Amino acid sequence: MSREHCSLTKVYRFSAGHRLHNKKFTPEENWEIFGKCTNELGHGHDYSVEVKVSGVICPETGMVINLGELNDLMNGIIEELDHKRLDIEVPFFRENQPSGELIVKYIWTRLEPKINKLDGAKLTHLKLWETPKNYFEYFENSQPQGVRRHGR
Amino acid sequence: MKHTTLLTKQVTFAASHRYWNPNWTEEKNRRVFGKCTSPYGHGHNYVLEVTLQGEPHPDTGMIMNLYDLKPILMDVLADFDHKYLNEDNPRFKHTIPTTENIAKALWELIEVRIIENADCALYKVRLYETPELYVEYWRES
Repeated sequence: MSREHCSLTKVYRFSAGHRLHNKKFTPEENWEIFGKCTNELGHGHDYSVEVKVSGVICPETGMVINLGELNDLMNGIIEELDHKRLDIEVPFFRENQPSGELIVKYIWTRLEPKINKLDGAKLTHLKLWETPKNYFEYFENSQPQGVRRHGR
Repeated sequence: MKHTTLLTKQVTFAASHRYWNPNWTEEKNRRVFGKCTSPYGHGHNYVLEVTLQGEPHPDTGMIMNLYDLKPILMDVLADFDHKYLNEDNPRFKHTIPTTENIAKALWELIEVRIIENADCALYKVRLYETPELYVEYWRES
């Protein structure tokens, strides 16, 4: 019997402001490293995040995860970020750079324990689009994307 | 094998479905499936991506000729396109036509045809129910 794999991916959106800036650096150094992104009053993006959850298809529901439950979990997290100035209004980003890399990691850290409480399904991949031209991914190394082999 | 070469073909179909588990009460169906229990079904514009893995043939440079792949996919989708899946497609008589189960059914139907007709392997199917929701399904051989 061959092993089957199934995942469901849902896109969520939020808009947020941020400023990339490190107090340890001089204004010149901040400008050199972060460029326009260190603009004093911040700037913003329309973010979208693709949430991939994997597991077995439940025989009773035909689902890997109930989309309503995933929406409830994600909407709670999105609520914390949407229409916020991240490095001022979200405690984690007062201490950590609100870069795409750390935003996607933050969402993982908030979402994964909530999904683990549901039966069976596992968070396997996050992709955060900052603009239509750049995105950031976060996943566990034991769950690589697209690295697999068929017998032939 | 050091590298992997993949080919993906996208096809679309429109279908309606209803989520309902006959072993459950109406109340439980409503609680679990929400609006998807609407009695006459509802529909989506599905987008199916079929990904094949194989070695490009030395004469054609192709894993599989798209002229051969497209009619296979069209034939498979004949039982899905512009159908009410719960009633019109026998595969969903006793299986809820969730995106997961539709992707699984399409994998099974397409894999047989690829094995019969081509010298490559079905690698993955990705089924978009909406542009913001998709399911991926594959089996390791």
